[in-house]
Amino acid sequence: MAEVVLRNLTKRWGDFVGVDNQSLEIRDREFLVLLGPSGCGKTTTMRMIAGLEEPTGGEIWIGDRQVNDDLPKDRDVAMVFQNYGLYPHMTVYDNIAYPLKVRGTPRSEIRHRVEAAATKVELAQFLDRKPRALSGGQRQRVALARAIVRTPKVFLMDEPLSNLDAKLRVTMRAELKHLSRELMITTIYVTHDQIEAMTLADRVAVMKSGIIQQLGTPDEIYNNPANLFVAGFIGSPPMNLITGSIRDGMFVTSGGIRLVPVDSADRQEVVLGVRPDDVRVSEEGQGDIDVRIYAFENTGEATLLTVQWGHQRVIARGDRHLRKDQDDCVSISLMADHLHLFDPQSGVRIAS
Amino acid sequence: MTGRRKRQLANGVQVLLILIAIFVMLVPIIWIFMAAFKNHIDVFQLKLFFKPTLKNFPAVFESPYSLGHKLMNSTLVALVTVLLAIPIATMAAYSFSRFRLTGETTMLVTILATQFVPAVVIILPFFVMFRDLGLLDTRVGLILVNLSIVMPFAIWMIKGFIDGIPLDTEEAAMVDGSSRLQVIRNIVLPMAAPGLLTAGIFCFIIAWNEFLFALILTNKNAVTLPIGLALFKAEEGDLWNLLSAAGIIIMVPMFVLALIIRRYFVQGMTMGAVR
Repeated sequence: MAEVVLRNLTKRWGDFVGVDNQSLEIRDREFLVLLGPSGCGKTTTMRMIAGLEEPTGGEIWIGDRQVNDDLPKDRDVAMVFQNYGLYPHMTVYDNIAYPLKVRGTPRSEIRHRVEAAATKVELAQFLDRKPRALSGGQRQRVALARAIVRTPKVFLMDEPLSNLDAKLRVTMRAELKHLSRELMITTIYVTHDQIEAMTLADRVAVMKSGIIQQLGTPDEIYNNPANLFVAGFIGSPPMNLITGSIRDGMFVTSGGIRLVPVDSADRQEVVLGVRPDDVRVSEEGQGDIDVRIYAFENTGEATLLTVQWGHQRVIARGDRHLRKDQDDCVSISLMADHLHLFDPQSGVRIAS
Repeated sequence: MTGRRKRQLANGVQVLLILIAIFVMLVPIIWIFMAAFKNHIDVFQLKLFFKPTLKNFPAVFESPYSLGHKLMNSTLVALVTVLLAIPIATMAAYSFSRFRLTGETTMLVTILATQFVPAVVIILPFFVMFRDLGLLDTRVGLILVNLSIVMPFAIWMIKGFIDGIPLDTEEAAMVDGSSRLQVIRNIVLPMAAPGLLTAGIFCFIIAWNEFLFALILTNKNAVTLPIGLALFKAEEGDLWNLLSAAGIIIMVPMFVLALIIRRYFVQGMTMGAVR
């Protein structure tokens, strides 16, 4: 058990910057998710913590020890790989036992601990099989069991669920969450899937182009995105981003429609962000703005209305019993206390 | 109905062509197998039915041919060549496969390029060098020559197999607590084993059949089987029955190895990663 501290961590390949001078403190027993699109530096950051990639600059601390020059084997971390990284020539038992064997654990203790780990991930009846004879989900469990069989200081998980099919992913996500609460070991988890990030994390670090855009709890990230990137990246469907200006305390779209009162000084250019959940849909004439429906989608659990409003399109989430059709007219209202204002140039959130 | 006829006809033609090809390829071998069991007088008659004899086989081991000594030479030379070549080639291949080396491509191509030079061109320098070093007509000398021949192939073949091992697997082993050498011993070698075996057999076959260098660089003590064949010339002409018997002794190990290589070659191709 340990905290992980990154100080001014940098990774460059020639001119390409993978991770750009980032500092991050991961608390003891915390579940931290590194979230971002592919190529944002999240996996590189994790590989540097594991010791599989050498930083160009900066420091990595695990517990009270600087590990920059330590080999992966000496860092006392366990890692789950996207492709599982199983040893195909060994049985499931030997796969799980390998970290113990290579560290010279006594044989009787190995058996005991492998069986305990396998039971925890429901693999006990597959110990004699080779990984080839397992399904994707079972292989993922072997990789997990191999990580939890000893008690490392830190768990590192590199997109562990991304090779599973959608249904299995949901099950495994819950199992992972359950397991992590049970084990209470500092965990760093890399993913591009925002739902995994939201559901699993104590805190999320959203990354883009090698820079951490925002670090906060899932609530903070969702409710108070620090900039336009985070606002657009988190949430499905994504936050509506409407350009306009603020005049006399009202947000006015670039089309000139006066929309909602906002709590901000006047500005020439501003981006208004509003989540589809915070757009209320009502019958024509009963809300703030009457609009025409561009597309109506029924997802089963809700309805999604894409409405044409001037030259912008806005997505609203409606009640699951709502039935409308393309080109119907409805009225929408934006919930004033759930609006986000951003500076269009810097993308940064404007404090209101 | 006509479509079916056509297909049957096409199949028939196909089978016929294959049979012809097999026949053309097998005739020399069949001829040798028959000749090995014939008496000297029967050899030149293309009789399919004759009174077989086994005396050719003991004959080739007796004086003046004494094939046993040459068999020993061939076996030792080929075996030691393989036992040296595979470990060295594996280390080289692993480095080429996993580390970023300066001039990596150049080195790899250069290694292979040594084999672009026809043996006849460099055999004289070899002769002179070996004479000065006292390696002429020694097994050690032949092993060195054979190593220079098989190493490039071995390195390239084994590199191919190691390239096929997913990096994830090795990285997982490193994070799990292995040193680089433990990774190689516990993970890479077992996973590449079919490849190493294939490469080893391949090298053995090359060394076993090597003719030109052995012809020039040996004359008595280190003579190998292929050179030994040239001994079966006598005043009464070529002793084809003895030559064939010796030929079979050379070929049989190759057939056995070919069978093994076939099984492992497929396994090596399909082993790959667990994804």
